[in-house]
Parts: sequence; structure tokens; C-alpha cells
Amino acid sequence: MKLSVDGALCRGHGRCYTLAEDLLEDDDEGFVTARGQIIDVPPDQEDDARNAAGSCPERAITLIEA
Amino acid sequence: MTTTEPAPGNPLDISARVPAGCPVIHLDASPPREVGSHWQKANELREISPTFFNTHAQGYWVFTRYDEVREMYQHPEIFSSEVIIPWDPEPAYRFVPTQIDPPEHSKYRQLISRWFAPNAVKRIAPQAHEIGRRLVADLAPKGSCDFVADFAMRMPTEIFLTILGVPHSDADLFVPWVEDFFAGFGGDLEQQETMVAALGGIKQYWVDVLEARRGETELRENDLVSHLVHSTVDDQPLGDDLILDILTVLVLAGLDTTRGQLGYLFRHLAENPDDRHRLIAEPGLIPSAVEESLRLYTIIFGDGRIVAQDTDFHGCPLRKGDMVYGLVSGANRDPRMYENPDDFIVDRVANNHLGFAGGPHRCLGAHLARMVMQVAVEEWLAVIPDFEVVTQTPLMERGGGAMLTLCTLPLSWEATA
Repeated sequence: MKLSVDGALCRGHGRCYTLAEDLLEDDDEGFVTARGQIIDVPPDQEDDARNAAGSCPERAITLIEA
Repeated sequence: MTTTEPAPGNPLDISARVPAGCPVIHLDASPPREVGSHWQKANELREISPTFFNTHAQGYWVFTRYDEVREMYQHPEIFSSEVIIPWDPEPAYRFVPTQIDPPEHSKYRQLISRWFAPNAVKRIAPQAHEIGRRLVADLAPKGSCDFVADFAMRMPTEIFLTILGVPHSDADLFVPWVEDFFAGFGGDLEQQETMVAALGGIKQYWVDVLEARRGETELRENDLVSHLVHSTVDDQPLGDDLILDILTVLVLAGLDTTRGQLGYLFRHLAENPDDRHRLIAEPGLIPSAVEESLRLYTIIFGDGRIVAQDTDFHGCPLRKGDMVYGLVSGANRDPRMYENPDDFIVDRVANNHLGFAGGPHRCLGAHLARMVMQVAVEEWLAVIPDFEVVTQTPLMERGGGAMLTLCTLPLSWEATA
């Protein structure tokens, strides 16, 4: 699975890096550092990634299932 | 709240544009009601239609469902924040950065966004716990309290003052000011003088703090006013008026709102021992319970915007200057988005509620509010694990003209020594 964060939609709600804390982290302004990137999701973190994507109020996170 | 046909011969000019598929209501959400009435109303409207035209005040469009409310938030080029109260289309105030649109908005937002980011909130977490522990310890021996007045207002205020870098004991001043301000803000004309006096008190407090920081060449660490004094926008230092506007809006946006959310969360915990006991057994679920309370017990009945360009929005012919009102509380219970939307599910996943709004104006204090709520639950349950609501009359909530809050929440428990 891969996860991408749409940098234009992300508004720093902080839901994703709180729910998937081993996968994502925040910067000093509270935005996820993976803004505008596509990252690999380890198999044991796929549930967290799904919860993070589903909890984003901006629908900024897209999951690409392998 | 009533839903009725408009009076005959209504002179509203917008009414002539309301299309056949868009029902017309007359809804004034400002009077106090029995607790839960506002959410019930939002639920009813949402299931009748995604859009309404409301003849309240000068008349405005109402959006009731999740997707439409999010769309409103995500399109500031159509839905401007220049006006945010739909029944007050020509406001006498201007909140910064609340009422500034992109691209200017980000310049002002960046001045303060780091101050309320998770890292900054973590910095003061130890003090927040200390404040919560002290307030609970003071109340525990009493065996009862009005949670709203005795705890829910006091705790966020002390923590807020701490993060700004002024003495938390100044909550003695801020608590009555904020109470007085919101007594008038909901539209009660008899309270207008008190409201103006409270606003004057808040402003003077910051004038004095600002004066003390103005002449200083050294930046004071962890002191927001000092930080603003040493900040620039477009290479220009900030004027006193701008700094005072920012500080005032932080007070008005941050304290009453957290009080409101805390009241509903603790009413839920008082009335649902299973959820309470689960949080005691599994404290790791507290953050999730806080999110669920923000979704289910949304204090923002609705949020307003002014239309910046003519747009056809889901069948509504919006014209520049029209006001719109997105029912956030209804969106957060939309069955199109959530399973069992009216149930409190402690460990709900995919909780993408709009309780902190969305788009560029996403609540700046969201991270702080979450921390305050989590700490409140932790510290309270550690000392008072069992408590109940004790009242002979139905609980009332302040109307949705401003933000919802319980008027009182009488709690009772076994007094501890």
C-alpha cells in the first residue's frame, strides 16, 4: 500500500499523524511532513493508514492499495 | 425554533430567486432550548433537503449535509469569510485572521499558527495537567458543582493564558469577561452594554500587556505578545490595533468554545457509565472519545460565509453578497458519511468530523482544545470516577446564534476527603 497527501488540500488538522504515529509526523506548524509526497505503508501499518485517510476532514489523503 | 412558511408579501429580494426544489424556512436558532434541540433540528432539516432558503433576518441560504458543508469550507474563492454571521451581513467588527481571505490570510495566520501547533501545545502539557489536577482537587471534597461555571470555563482559560505567556491566575479577570461577552453576543439586546464593557476589559488587558512589551529590544521566550511585537507582515511591524485584534479574537474564539465542548462531553460521561468506565480502564481511548464528542456534540450549530461570486451551488443560484449558513452540527451527524451517526462510539474509526471547520480557516486552536479536553477527562476521572447529573428540570443550552453550550451542568458525586 502507498499513501499520498495532497499538499493543496491539507490544512493541518493533525488527525493523520495522531492516528498513524509510526507512519507520519508533524512539522513545527502542525502540518504532516509528507505533504505532497507518496510514501510506502508497511503491511503492519495499513489499518492505521486507513484510519488516518478516513479521518481527514479535507479528504487530502489517498491510499493506493497494492 | 420553528419551521414555517414566510409571511405573505415578504419583501426579501433573494426570495424571488429561490428555485422550486429549495424549501423555504423561517428559522431563528438563537433562543435557548432544551439540550439537544439544535442537533435534532439540524438532523430534521438535513433529511428534508440538502439546501434551504431561510427568511430569518435579511434571508440566507442554508446547507445541511456533510459534502456541501465541506465544499463551502474548501472554496473560499466562492464562500468568503469577510462575513461569518449570516444574519449580520455588515458587521461592525473585523476578526483577524478569521475574516481575511486567501491569499492575504496566510500572512496573518502564519504569525500565530506555530504558537498553537502540536509541538507548542506539548510544551505546556505538564502545566495543563497541573492546572486540571488543582481544579479537580478543589472540587472533589464538595461533592457537587455546576460543571460549566466551576470547571469547564476555568480550566481552558488558565491553560490558554499559560500558552500565551501571561499569568494563569488572570483567569479571575477573563472568566467573567468571556461570560459577559457571550451573554450579549447571542443577540440578547438587554445584555449589549455588559458585552461592550467586557470587550473593553479584554482589550484594556492586552493594551497594558502590549505597553509593557513595546519598548523591549529582547524577545521574551514563550510570550505571544512579545512575539507579535517582534513580528512583521510584508516587512512592516504590526500596529497596535492589529495585535489587539488578534489577541481579542483568540480570547473570544478559544475559551467559550472549549467550555461548551467540555460541558457536553462531561454530561455524556455522567449519563453513560459504560463509556466512563471504559475510559478509566483504557485511557488510550480518551483522544478518540474527545473526537467523537466533537462530532456528535458539535457546538457550531452552523457557520456563515458571504458569497464572493455568482455561482450555481447544488441548484441554488447564489449571487455575490448573499449570505450562506452551513449546518456543521448536521453535517457531523450525516448518515451519508457516518454509520450510527447519532450514537457515541468511543473508538469510532474514520472520524473526519468538521467540528474544527475545514479549509483555510480550520480552527487554529484545535490542537490546544483537544489537549485541554483530554487532560480534563484524565484528571477528573482519576479523582472522581463516578458522577451523575442531578437536576429537577431539563438541562438548557444557549442558542446557536453564537456557539452552543449548556447553560448549567449540575454534577454530583461522593465527596472525597
